[in-house]
Amino acid sequence: MARKAKVTIDKNRCKGCELCVNFCPKQVLAMSKEINDKGYFYAQVVNQEACIVCRFCGLMCPDTAIEIAVEEPEKTEVGTNG
Amino acid sequence: MGKILMKGNEAIAESAVRAGGLLYFGYPITPQSEIAEYLAHRMPEVGGVFLQIESEVAVANVLYGAAGAGARVWTSSSSPGISLMMEGVSYIAASELPCVIVNIVRCGPGLGGILPSQGDYFQAVKGGGHGDYRCLVLAPSSVQEAVDLMPLAFDRADRYRNPVMVIGDGMIGQMMEPVEFKEQKFPPLPPKDWATTGCKGRKPNVVNSLYLDPVVEEQLNFKLAAKYEQMRKNEVRFEEYRTDRELDCLLVAYGTTARVCKTAIQRLDEEKICAGLLRPITLFPFPEDKIYELAQRSKVVLTVEMSTGQMVEDVRLAVGRTKPVYFFGRAGGMVPSPEEVIEVVRKYVEGGGR
Repeated sequence: MARKAKVTIDKNRCKGCELCVNFCPKQVLAMSKEINDKGYFYAQVVNQEACIVCRFCGLMCPDTAIEIAVEEPEKTEVGTNG
Repeated sequence: MGKILMKGNEAIAESAVRAGGLLYFGYPITPQSEIAEYLAHRMPEVGGVFLQIESEVAVANVLYGAAGAGARVWTSSSSPGISLMMEGVSYIAASELPCVIVNIVRCGPGLGGILPSQGDYFQAVKGGGHGDYRCLVLAPSSVQEAVDLMPLAFDRADRYRNPVMVIGDGMIGQMMEPVEFKEQKFPPLPPKDWATTGCKGRKPNVVNSLYLDPVVEEQLNFKLAAKYEQMRKNEVRFEEYRTDRELDCLLVAYGTTARVCKTAIQRLDEEKICAGLLRPITLFPFPEDKIYELAQRSKVVLTVEMSTGQMVEDVRLAVGRTKPVYFFGRAGGMVPSPEEVIEVVRKYVEGGGR
């Protein structure tokens, strides 16, 4: 069972550099059509389900606007041989 | 001290503080508001003054007054704010007072947008305000260079008793890069014996820019002109990149666009197209002699700007009719990509320079 994460973007920290959008391998993120308090078009989560928890977006963000909360998958029983 | 990661605006602010720019007056405007935000908490730590003024018009006049009293003063703003300051800057230049003005350019005209642009070239290098004056204009192309140029800006402002403008763009201001604050040494400055510091025991100093006697006013104009001539002789700064060879194309670009051009030059090497870059660091004085010299070794000259063509006029003045000078620009907050530059270079080089 693959791990899941909830990606949250603090839109008012974002300056619209688009690094996260460019580095996300699964197109989880896209730029907004609306502007934030500073006047920038900001990054937003458009496809949360596709996230593979690579954390690239959070690592790339120069303004620490992205939070990635990893949801641990439920433990599955592992069989043992005797 | 090692390198730290800093946002351009904050790095500029810190460098100014370290250079003794302890009186800052400003008014917030994107994309440079982080300068004011940073100084609001930094100035009290170092015994400096951070004061938000009611408008940019007033900021320029507060600078005028504080500079007249002999303080090392500075401000920062972005394009529309700088326009509002221009009357005061003209007075400061006329009264021969030092100050540093940082312009983190946004796109225009009008209120424009908040994304990177180089549309304020004319305003910065051709005066901006009224009357016969010039600012010394420094154009960093990285956060590190912005940090390095701030102490120089303050020194030259004091040395020439003239406004110095540091011109970046939204990208330089907003980008985070590793920076190192290196201590810079300058020769001693002459005493500010012209400052209005209280005239007890001496004749009063007067800061003024009104001269109704045409003979006196002309003398001031000629004195200022001589000062700008000194700048042309002593202050021209530029960087050459891959110009140590016969060139198919000489690129001329400053600030952010110069970085794009460097990437384009590296990729053009793979296609056996020899391109080189001349990057003016001072926009006034302009490295016209160097541009002329390099143009003679190149088939064509291409100026790349984030405007619809401003610096290209000075490049054409420098090159004259000796070589074809072309222009490529993006505007409105669009930053040219290396691919676009490559395509344009290819077009003009393969066109045989015609």
